[in-house]
Amino acid sequence: MSETKHILLRWKDVKADFRKLAEYRKHEGFEGLKKALAAKPEEVIDVVKNSGLRGRGGAGFPTGVKWSFIPKQEPIKYFVVNADESETGTFKDRLIMETNPYQLLEGLLIGAYAIGAHTAYIYLRGEFWDIAAQLDACIEEMRKEGLVGKNILGSGYDCEIYTHLGAGAYICGEETALLNSLEGKLGQPRVRPPFPANKGGGLYGEPTVVNNVETIANVPWIMTHGADAYKAIGTEQSAGTKLYCVSGHVKKPGVYELPFSATFRELLVDICGGPSVEGRSFKALLPSGGSGPIVPLNDKVLDTRMSYEDTAKIGTIIGSASLIVMDDSVDITWVASKVTKFFKHESCGKCTPCREGTYWLDKVIDRIMAGEGSERDITLIENVAKNMAGITLCALGEFAANPIIHTIKQFPDDFKQHVKKDGKAAKPVALPAAGD
Amino acid sequence: MNIIKGFRTTFKHLLEEPVTLQYPEQMRPFEARYKGRHHLRRYENGLEKCIGCALCAAACPADAIWVEAAENTDEERYSPGERYAKTYEINMLRCIFCGYCEDACPTQAIELGHEHQLSFTDRRDAIYTKEMLIDPVPSGGKPTPQKVEAGAFDRAIPDMPDPK
Amino acid sequence: MAETKLVTITIDGKAYQVPAGSNLVDAAKWHADNDIPVFCYHPKMAPVGMCRMCVVELGMVEKDRATGEVIMENGQPKVRWMPKLQTACTQVATDGMVVRTDTDKVKAGRESVIEFLLTSHPLDCPICDKGGECPLQNLTMAHGNGVSRMNFADKLKLDKHVPLGDLIYLDEERCIQCARCIRFQDEIVGDDVLAFHERGRRLQIITKSDPGFDTYFSGNTTDICPVGALTTADFRFGARPWELTDVPSICPHDAAGTNISLSTRLDRDFGGRAMIKRVMPRQNEAVNEIWISDRTRFVHHFTRSDDRLQSPMVRRGERLSPTVWNEAIPALAEVLKAANGDVAVLAGGGASNEDLWELRQLLKGLGSERLGAWTTHSGAELLLEVGVGKGSNLGTLGKGDAILVVASDLEEEVPMWYLRVKQAQDRGAFLAVANHRPTRLAEIASQTERKVASQTERKPLVGKSVLYEAGKAAHWLNDLANSDPELYNTLKDAQNLVIIAGAEGLDWDGGRALMQAAANLLIAGGHVGKPNNGLMATLPEANGMGLQYLGYTTQNALDIIKNPPSVLITAQCDPLGDDPTAGSWMSKVNTLITLTLFPDDTTQRAAFALPVQSFAERDGTFINGERRVQRFYTAQGPMGDALPLWEIIARLRERLGQGRAKVSAAAVMLELSNHLPSFNGIRYKDLAQVERQYPDVGGKDLYYGGTAYQNKGGLGVQLPTTADNGSAPTTGTVNLPEVKQAKKGELLLIPTVRLYNRSHIMRPSALIANRVAKPFAALNNADAKKLGIKHGDRVEVRFNGGQATVTAQVSDSTPQGVVFVPRYLADTPTPMVITSASVVKVSDAVAVQ
Repeated sequence: MSETKHILLRWKDVKADFRKLAEYRKHEGFEGLKKALAAKPEEVIDVVKNSGLRGRGGAGFPTGVKWSFIPKQEPIKYFVVNADESETGTFKDRLIMETNPYQLLEGLLIGAYAIGAHTAYIYLRGEFWDIAAQLDACIEEMRKEGLVGKNILGSGYDCEIYTHLGAGAYICGEETALLNSLEGKLGQPRVRPPFPANKGGGLYGEPTVVNNVETIANVPWIMTHGADAYKAIGTEQSAGTKLYCVSGHVKKPGVYELPFSATFRELLVDICGGPSVEGRSFKALLPSGGSGPIVPLNDKVLDTRMSYEDTAKIGTIIGSASLIVMDDSVDITWVASKVTKFFKHESCGKCTPCREGTYWLDKVIDRIMAGEGSERDITLIENVAKNMAGITLCALGEFAANPIIHTIKQFPDDFKQHVKKDGKAAKPVALPAAGD
Repeated sequence: MNIIKGFRTTFKHLLEEPVTLQYPEQMRPFEARYKGRHHLRRYENGLEKCIGCALCAAACPADAIWVEAAENTDEERYSPGERYAKTYEINMLRCIFCGYCEDACPTQAIELGHEHQLSFTDRRDAIYTKEMLIDPVPSGGKPTPQKVEAGAFDRAIPDMPDPK
Repeated sequence: MAETKLVTITIDGKAYQVPAGSNLVDAAKWHADNDIPVFCYHPKMAPVGMCRMCVVELGMVEKDRATGEVIMENGQPKVRWMPKLQTACTQVATDGMVVRTDTDKVKAGRESVIEFLLTSHPLDCPICDKGGECPLQNLTMAHGNGVSRMNFADKLKLDKHVPLGDLIYLDEERCIQCARCIRFQDEIVGDDVLAFHERGRRLQIITKSDPGFDTYFSGNTTDICPVGALTTADFRFGARPWELTDVPSICPHDAAGTNISLSTRLDRDFGGRAMIKRVMPRQNEAVNEIWISDRTRFVHHFTRSDDRLQSPMVRRGERLSPTVWNEAIPALAEVLKAANGDVAVLAGGGASNEDLWELRQLLKGLGSERLGAWTTHSGAELLLEVGVGKGSNLGTLGKGDAILVVASDLEEEVPMWYLRVKQAQDRGAFLAVANHRPTRLAEIASQTERKVASQTERKPLVGKSVLYEAGKAAHWLNDLANSDPELYNTLKDAQNLVIIAGAEGLDWDGGRALMQAAANLLIAGGHVGKPNNGLMATLPEANGMGLQYLGYTTQNALDIIKNPPSVLITAQCDPLGDDPTAGSWMSKVNTLITLTLFPDDTTQRAAFALPVQSFAERDGTFINGERRVQRFYTAQGPMGDALPLWEIIARLRERLGQGRAKVSAAAVMLELSNHLPSFNGIRYKDLAQVERQYPDVGGKDLYYGGTAYQNKGGLGVQLPTTADNGSAPTTGTVNLPEVKQAKKGELLLIPTVRLYNRSHIMRPSALIANRVAKPFAALNNADAKKLGIKHGDRVEVRFNGGQATVTAQVSDSTPQGVVFVPRYLADTPTPMVITSASVVKVSDAVAVQ
């Protein structure tokens, strides 16, 4: 992996402090923007389309296609960057914003130019107040050099960038809830259609693009080096590199930028150094934080490439690539409970299945955790989770159902050992020791 | 011949134990399921079981029951939950003692007892009021309305079974 | 209205033609009689897709991309089904849409939603006010599993008695977070006072206003609440819904003529008589849709107040003493005979058409035609010529149309019109509001955008708010073409124009002038004689229009004041209570006969005080401000010896030899409509006609529209104007009166109207007592300074005929040189028309605890 080129963490390759505008500009900084401003907006969209760039927020929707949905004739459009980063086990966007803020801002301007937006927002989770202040300072630096505001780089294109802090809610990572929150309303998802890209569906009812920080940070490189160069990295359907956030039972957890063609083994064993405690072995992996399906971390999984298409083959998703690794000391029942509590806490309460379902699931899992559950309770939670998954308003309901459905599917024995036998309470679930 | 046959029958019955009871001095024992006049029950602490829901009145095929409800407060509590029967009347002339009211009651507040000797000299006397229907306060209980601790009796239907 | 394109959609295998873009739930119900169950969706509000109850299987007929032809498969059009269930409420009908509502997948989806809702819903049905007419109950019976899988101990326990205000209580456990109440306040009323607090299972309804739930329409939220979470303080535990008898009626308070349903039940506390337990809306899309104001809903206690006059009274010396009808009627007949025709009537807007007819016939028989209308409004005769055209419906005004509201605080005077005018602006109509002080509607008019019937879109609103010099409404409107040609032309050139005129700050001459100026503007733009065009007036009480139709005029009233008759009959009006100066001319009346609900100030001086029945106790008809004749029915047991006003007069007429007394209100109406051509020969049975209204609320599926009632009592009949009948009205001269000037050192006193006040009708409703403002007078900062008055000081307002001690409200919103004194707030009568008054400080503000 020695020849790996960093795209998002480019400063690692050139050994420069990209937090300084001058340093960033010295190393290809704002070259992409210059190129974009020289081209027609449609051409910019085409380049991004051809690069095969897919949304890094989790869904993997092709970015160029998303941009092309924006109706050209509408006078007001908005570009929004989703920096709410609140998926469990995800800490990649903050790294970009902390170490490479200008690349994000450059990508943002290219995107805004491509869709014809003159106002852009960066929506950050409330805990990122310091990053927001840093970004504000960066924007002011850019203003001094004519990189933001009126007539950017003399091109005649105007764009203003604002940062906005949320109040700390997982649901505000969902794009329509994010828009509601940005408008000052309760952070609850909206019904679609109309989609954010359509009139009536976006910010203040105007067509809006919402992209993840990591997605946008890829755009300047694509503009500078061309779509083909980007497409050459990664796999067939997953172009480029990805920031993988590794946490849990590995020796060296952290954020690593790798091309999509890398396998789980390369990352978790070769780079992160395998299980953290000698003598233990990998048991399970949550490849996309709490929201993605859990998989047993066996050789088959380890030899799978960490791309959108390959992870689908093993019945999970790469999503936002927040890999939570668990070794054989972990009781999966506890994992199910932990994740369910998270979603119960974070459910916005707007739609019935998610609001009531997460509450109910939590109650039943608590019972199982205490050793008071019955066989019936396992089928009950599985059934409740499936009922939720089909009909919720937004994806959070699906995410909340996933941990139950897949933990029971993959690790049924972990649950069964805690249910009552012959009317007698079973062993309660042992909680992991601190520091474990 | 026939006359002898007839007398034989007469004699046979003459020696049998008579089935007639000297009511009211003598009484036949009641079956447990016998449906006599109604009682309104209380909980052990004296609170009334009736929550004034009027489902008995709705179930009554003879339209014999009249319920008017009012709101409980913790200062003046008659029954658990928010609602109690301010007026509860049964017109015994209308009642057909079918027991539907008992079946409809969600709190087992109304029960048909064994009392059946109901007679009135005025039609208006046939209307039994709440005071006439309700059980006396059990020993250890307090009469209603009671002043109770806030939030202690906030459920109208206190017990529900869990699914099996 | 533009023709809507029809598209073909297939529901459960059958094809239907429905308007393109119509909501799928609405279309399925209206066209296919397919009740898709809903909780959060409401036909009057934008869909939000929250409850997930309306899930259906949805597909589109597949078409060949190149040719556009439908692809066939096994002789059937090929359908591309969406992989997941979709919420019907968020779908609009498009061509080729295929819907399945009866499959196992849909049934399972509905069942699971019901199960989820019931996990945290309490088992309260036996004591719940909604039990029996509850959407959740009904839908659980229809779609629920029947067996619980939730442990009872796991149920949430929340507060069951949270007052959102004085009028509405929230049961947090019962709430299913459908947000209907929040959206109603936000989208329909525009008083954004409710909100969600917290998130997830902790999500709860809260009120953001102080005082809580501060709006005039709060009661409607209890109707549209799909569970028993919101209950009114008035009805809580009052009765079970199945025990109630619903009697169609009409709101007696204002010119809107809101259709209501009086839910009655026999009651021990009311001597076993039928008693109004609650007031519910009755659907009439042309009048009030399915909404009613809180005054309509909560002010009904006066009908059975013990303070009512309950037996006929006759003056014996200084005192009025009770008598019986058999003595009172002959005595009255003697008095009237002795008057030799020197008799006059002053009638208020609370009297029904039947009452007014009998009174009119009585006077005719006695040889008098002095029929006076006791009202603050004048110029109502113009409403018969250029009133809103037959077939008008404020609910259909929208883009390209204009509404002008002048000299009225519409929210306080006719809240239902306020609601409908606001919604017309939401739909794109131009709303102009002109008054000499800021009002809530003026605020609405000048808003440039509001959250309207769409979750995200912010529709630009068009409107204008104008402030004119105090009391100069007629001057302003008459001169509008010169002073503000832009506004004048916007109004004149609008597709449709409706003018709603009040009488604030105007005397009778001024009112007449304003009405004429409004008529002139309407005529100039051709806005007469057609639907959705014309003039409306905020005539006080329910039958101000009826007064005009029956020939009772303000001109006659002025004549009566100028030349008082020997015998004066006051019919449901209280001149001595309304007007402090009335005593001077009233003293010239020899015999005062009053027909009244309450022993009021006029009763104090009357020789005969006769108790009349309220609208709830009798049959009758009112004509609303849009000239719709509407019928109300007997609902409540009678109070004391009170009789319907018409019946008292009919008996009196029989005694006077004017023919046999009629035995029913219907018979009076028959005679009335046979004699008055303007009534077009309408009968009671015409007023009882109903037709299917869109949306189809009420009926068996309470979940769709809430517990607003289907109209079974009649939609009423709108009387045509002379313009409707083809006679082209001509513009008249506006006789601009001289505006009243304050005397030196005094201020111009302008009476205003408050929705909640301390009139005889309001006082028995203790519920709203907290909402009634303390008596006050509004002053300008500069004037107050000059008079040495601070905000909150006790002041005495002195005017011709009396004075009132009130609290001073000092602000800049009151124009200089003016003092606003709301009517019916102070303990003593305050002026009913503009006059000069002095304001004197009595004492300092008392610190409020």
